[in-house]
Amino acid sequence: MSTPSPIDPRQEKSAQPDDAILAAHEKHAGAKTAPGHYHLLPLALLFIFSGLIFYAGTYLNRYSGHFSGKVFDERQLPTSGAAVAAKIDPLVLGKKQYNLACVTCHMPNGLGLPGVYPPLAESEWVLGSEERLISIVLHGLKGPVTVKGNVYGTAAMPAFGQVPGSGYNWNDEKIAAVLTYIRHEWGNNAGAIATERVTEIRNKAGARKEWTEAELLALP
Amino acid sequence: MTTVSPTQASAEADGIDASARCPLGLLLAFGLFWLVAGGILAVLNLLQLQSPALLADCAWFSFGRLQAMQETAFIYGWAINAGVAAATWLLVRLSGEALRGANYLVVGTLFWNAALVLALVGIAGGYATSHAFFQLPDFVQPVLLVAYAVMAVPGILAWTGRRKEHTYATQWYAVAALFLLPWFFSVAQVMLNFLPVRGVLQAVVATWYAQNLFSLWLAPIALAALYYLLPKLTGRTLPNYDFAIYGFWSLLAFGTWMGGRQLIGGPVPAWIATIAITAAVMVLFHYIIAFLNLRSLFRLAGSSVLFLLMVGLAAYLVGGVVDAVFATRGLAKVTQFTYFQQAQQQLHLGAFSLVMFGTLYFMAPRLAGAAWPSITLLRAHFLAVLIGFGLLVASLATAGWIQGAALNDAAVTFATIGDKTRPWLQLAAVAQGVTLCGNALLALNFLRLFFTKPAADSVGRAVMEASAS
Repeated sequence: MSTPSPIDPRQEKSAQPDDAILAAHEKHAGAKTAPGHYHLLPLALLFIFSGLIFYAGTYLNRYSGHFSGKVFDERQLPTSGAAVAAKIDPLVLGKKQYNLACVTCHMPNGLGLPGVYPPLAESEWVLGSEERLISIVLHGLKGPVTVKGNVYGTAAMPAFGQVPGSGYNWNDEKIAAVLTYIRHEWGNNAGAIATERVTEIRNKAGARKEWTEAELLALP
Repeated sequence: MTTVSPTQASAEADGIDASARCPLGLLLAFGLFWLVAGGILAVLNLLQLQSPALLADCAWFSFGRLQAMQETAFIYGWAINAGVAAATWLLVRLSGEALRGANYLVVGTLFWNAALVLALVGIAGGYATSHAFFQLPDFVQPVLLVAYAVMAVPGILAWTGRRKEHTYATQWYAVAALFLLPWFFSVAQVMLNFLPVRGVLQAVVATWYAQNLFSLWLAPIALAALYYLLPKLTGRTLPNYDFAIYGFWSLLAFGTWMGGRQLIGGPVPAWIATIAITAAVMVLFHYIIAFLNLRSLFRLAGSSVLFLLMVGLAAYLVGGVVDAVFATRGLAKVTQFTYFQQAQQQLHLGAFSLVMFGTLYFMAPRLAGAAWPSITLLRAHFLAVLIGFGLLVASLATAGWIQGAALNDAAVTFATIGDKTRPWLQLAAVAQGVTLCGNALLALNFLRLFFTKPAADSVGRAVMEASAS
């Protein structure tokens, strides 16, 4: 039946009774393809559906973060706690450690107190040998010390490392972080200190008392 | 069955429609009331975006509450009243029997709408929940659930008591919608209000609920109407009807997972958004089938009902593609949390409304037993809603894109963004105003249809006799 015309929009004509709609579509839905004939559409739809499934599956696999409740960035995979902790920025941790303890004597500007506490900014001890610097912080320093040409007679730097007699017991990561921080701050520009290096030096020195300037200068 | 003579068909359908006249007329009247009321609130709400001082001193109509009220009036007032009416009528028509359980429908409708008045007053008074599309105050939620269950009974009875064993696509979609709403409505009530889940999980449940409202209720109802009216008006069998069942199941299976799109970049595990994006792509299969089955709509001209249905279907299909495309993370970065999302919602709601208008134009004269009283009102309504709908979606989408692009640029100040989007929001307010005028004309035409004596209009009578069934 063609489109009825003219159409009165006030009440449009129906073209077939409800029964006819049901009957026609029932017949249509059950219709079998004649032998020898083949319809392309089912195949095309199958391909389209497979394509969508393929895309969806790939996307889901790639950006689901293994369905972990702890992954909030779709490009990341779930990680264990230790791996997450290792990613802490040493400069951030170092600054925190510095402000906890070192700042009391060496001051926020790293200049110390003239005549009493030696400066860290542009200090040859800070910028020079890694081993001497690490040793000082691990075990402490006692006795007179010369920094930037000035002699500090009564230096008494406590031990910070995980060594016998240490009041702070900072682990090697914290030591490395705070050293990396002071080597990077106040215009200082020396390389970062690795946690492994701190561990190595702590193991080499073993249990001992505070260093003196002469002992330190003997170190490489 | 093609041998049924017009007189037989008309007599049969007349009996069926007469049985549905009062309850469905009541539902439609409530639906149109909320459509107009919601339109007024929406216009006020958009005007508040231009001039924030408007009604700002009146706590009951401050911006947030007005927004919640207009959304609630539109969804729970217009969409659900009209949708239940359409679904029930379609199921009754296809059952081949008169409507049974009309009292359920009337009682359910009265309670539903009374509860809705209470809900709007509650929202105005500050008792709204904070979830989009679910702002209903907690004290009306159980009432609405029970009222809906009662309201849906005649539709289900028509389905179980149908004359023919074999079912048609319209019946699948209508019955699915009738059954699915209580499921997600009750789950949302428990998980968001009565035994609320904690923290961010609430946002996940809320977006799941809102998506279900669109994918498992509005879309199936609109499709039920489309699958019925197209063959009804053209007399043709739908092409590729064999695949309709896959379209049905793919909508149900994938549609419900799409809610997490709204949470891209939010504080939820990444897989929730990822799975929603994949679902938005998978559901394209449903849209392909819907297009295959209903594509002859795009070829037809002349019939105003079919024209409305065509625009509605086009909006529905475009909405599906836009959902899939703008769910991708790269684009969501711009459109997320902007007016663009409102444009997407309006596209879906507009598609539903246009299909419902088409259904109404076909159904109401048969229910009332008379032709529409005024062609002028009818044409004016057409013109207004088509212009209003297109303008609203286009202006909100443009405003949203400008807003999103500017928000991502830290150098642009908030005031600049406001200045840039203002003209588009003014256009959106105009669009809402035009739509409102059109809908008011529809309501007027509808009232005249039901409250003028059909016999007095001899022309209408003649048309009706010629075209009943």
